[in-house]
Amino acid sequence: MSLFLQLLFNGLTVGSFYALTALGYTMIYGIIRLINFAHGDLLMVGAFIGWTLLTTVAIQHIPIAAAIAVALLLSMAATGILGLVVDRFAYEPLLRGSRLSILITALGVSLALENGVQLGYGAGFKAYPHLLPSVYLPVGGASLGVTQIGIFALSLALMLGLYLFVHRTAIGTAMRALALDQDAARLMGIDVEGVIRLTFFIGSALAAAAGVMMGLYYSEISFTMGFLLGIRAFTAAVIGGIGNIPGAMVGGMVIGLLEAFTAGYFSSRWSDVAVFGALILMLMFRPRGIFGERVVERM
Amino acid sequence: MEKQKLAMLVAALALGGAALAPARAAEGPVKIGVPAPLTGSYASAGTDIANAAMIAAEDINKKSGVLGRKIAIDTADDQCDAQIGVQAAEKLVQSGDQAIAGGYCSSAAIPESSVFHDHGLPFVADASTNPRLTEQGFADVFRVIGRDDEQGPFAANFMKNELHAKRVAIIHDNTVYARGLAEQTRAALKKLGGVDIVYFDAITPGQSDYTSVLSVVKSDNPDVIYYTGYYSEAALIVKEARALGVKATLMAGDANNDPTLLKVAGPAANGLIITTAPLAQFLGGSEVQNFIKEYQSRFGHEPGPYSVYEYDAIGVTAAAMDRAKSTDPQKVAAALHQTKDYHGITGTISFNQQGDRENAVYITLIVKNDQFTAYKALENGHWVDVKAASKAKAG
Repeated sequence: MSLFLQLLFNGLTVGSFYALTALGYTMIYGIIRLINFAHGDLLMVGAFIGWTLLTTVAIQHIPIAAAIAVALLLSMAATGILGLVVDRFAYEPLLRGSRLSILITALGVSLALENGVQLGYGAGFKAYPHLLPSVYLPVGGASLGVTQIGIFALSLALMLGLYLFVHRTAIGTAMRALALDQDAARLMGIDVEGVIRLTFFIGSALAAAAGVMMGLYYSEISFTMGFLLGIRAFTAAVIGGIGNIPGAMVGGMVIGLLEAFTAGYFSSRWSDVAVFGALILMLMFRPRGIFGERVVERM
Repeated sequence: MEKQKLAMLVAALALGGAALAPARAAEGPVKIGVPAPLTGSYASAGTDIANAAMIAAEDINKKSGVLGRKIAIDTADDQCDAQIGVQAAEKLVQSGDQAIAGGYCSSAAIPESSVFHDHGLPFVADASTNPRLTEQGFADVFRVIGRDDEQGPFAANFMKNELHAKRVAIIHDNTVYARGLAEQTRAALKKLGGVDIVYFDAITPGQSDYTSVLSVVKSDNPDVIYYTGYYSEAALIVKEARALGVKATLMAGDANNDPTLLKVAGPAANGLIITTAPLAQFLGGSEVQNFIKEYQSRFGHEPGPYSVYEYDAIGVTAAAMDRAKSTDPQKVAAALHQTKDYHGITGTISFNQQGDRENAVYITLIVKNDQFTAYKALENGHWVDVKAASKAKAG
């Protein structure tokens, strides 16, 4: 029983990171049908910006909570702008072109980001400063970290915020309109390019939040950290129903839990098999994902 | 997935280009190739190896070089990956290197060794400890470091006779080196008897979260957990195990005596025990101290664990060329076999029939106050403090 609880906590923590990353994939796919392969790498860039901020002297003299908040927000803003720039210069010129050329461009952006960070920061991994309290609560024989609760709560809050933004605001309505029909949206007077840029900004900022949180929690970041994580988050988005925001959240948690329980009850060598096996099964029997019934209504 | 294909395509194109370039003639400097992971998760170890090779070459060049010629170091990035390692090896062969001295991960070094063997180049490994490296029947592969079938029994002996462990968990990462060391340790523990191996499995390297595996290990209640993989994962495992409240003694193999581990794991690393060949700072002699000073002033940080072995790998190779009075690969390989009591900074080096170093030494380190400290060594079947052991030797 205590093992089960422990695996549940682990799975939800890892799932939070997948879910936050999956949101970016799903938003961008929903709106321009692009699988943004560079998304995991934007997370990595966010983690490195956070590391740079937290290891600079200026920020070390303010209270820890304030330092973390500053690093998180600045990293989200900077990465958001980077995402916007990537969209403006790499994707926007290709929006009217073939789907394949924009996909290849996304791969190129991914490689450029990874190797750019490697050039700037060196190839080794970087250690985040140990700022979070290591307080663990015993729950039914398992141990639950206070930071784990924090990560879960913060991810949930960000996801909920995003959901409300997309469903309750004018810009959110514009996003959904664009997802339905780009040309019709343009005829209705919606600034299509502007909305797409904003979507990239938000998606990248969320990835950066996940990146900084991963750095703080695991204390180890490297320029390759985005690749595998990105692929898993993409799987989460597909399982949840790509283009669907609650789907990305649920998909992320499903992948996190699947990984934890496979590692716990079988062997961690099988966790990739379980994750990608689930993807294949999903694509075979329910290709629109868990939440993908209403095909028309994306996001 | 797509990305890997793309990367392979780019690499294939680059290789094609390299093949067109004519191999350099045997004049000018003597080129020694150094394959190492210069990028990727193990880049800090690889960079240390490349730096140490540079210093070794300069030290030799300052004296009189080799056969009156200068040594030039030619590095290639193998990323600790078998496929990329083979490409790196081909690159070194194509650029006309006369000998190879380097490597880090066994999973890259073993495939590389067969490329070098095919082209008749002698290969002196500095850090690859998997027994298979020198058991392929190649007469031109050597290593200046011990083997895992020496390290495994050493670790097992320490667990049973010094830690008095009854229950041991062994975790590896399915790489050639880690799996080999894990299996050697398990076999040695079984031979000693009286120790239960309660857990034996692999993790997937490159992830951030190993808590699920560790939760299972914890429920098996081991006295000792031995991780045989590399430092990038070990740092996380140590940190996450302590966070889970694992009380067992944590131990790790010789790929983990890297300072970066301490930065990531933080205070959780205290008490971690590592089985390893002696590090530079625990080796006596003024040459080692000079090397450490030189390294620190040049690169601004301490030399990593394998830098001293790479220094000796270059030295042994250069000495063999001098004895052979030639850089002809076959003559150099023959001369390497004759290496007897070479005076290196890691001690005297002699190669046995297979190309392995005779009488390789292992010690244990313990992390104390966020630093690696020399701990215990095996002297005549008894565990003694390392300082006492070296004193006893001196006296």
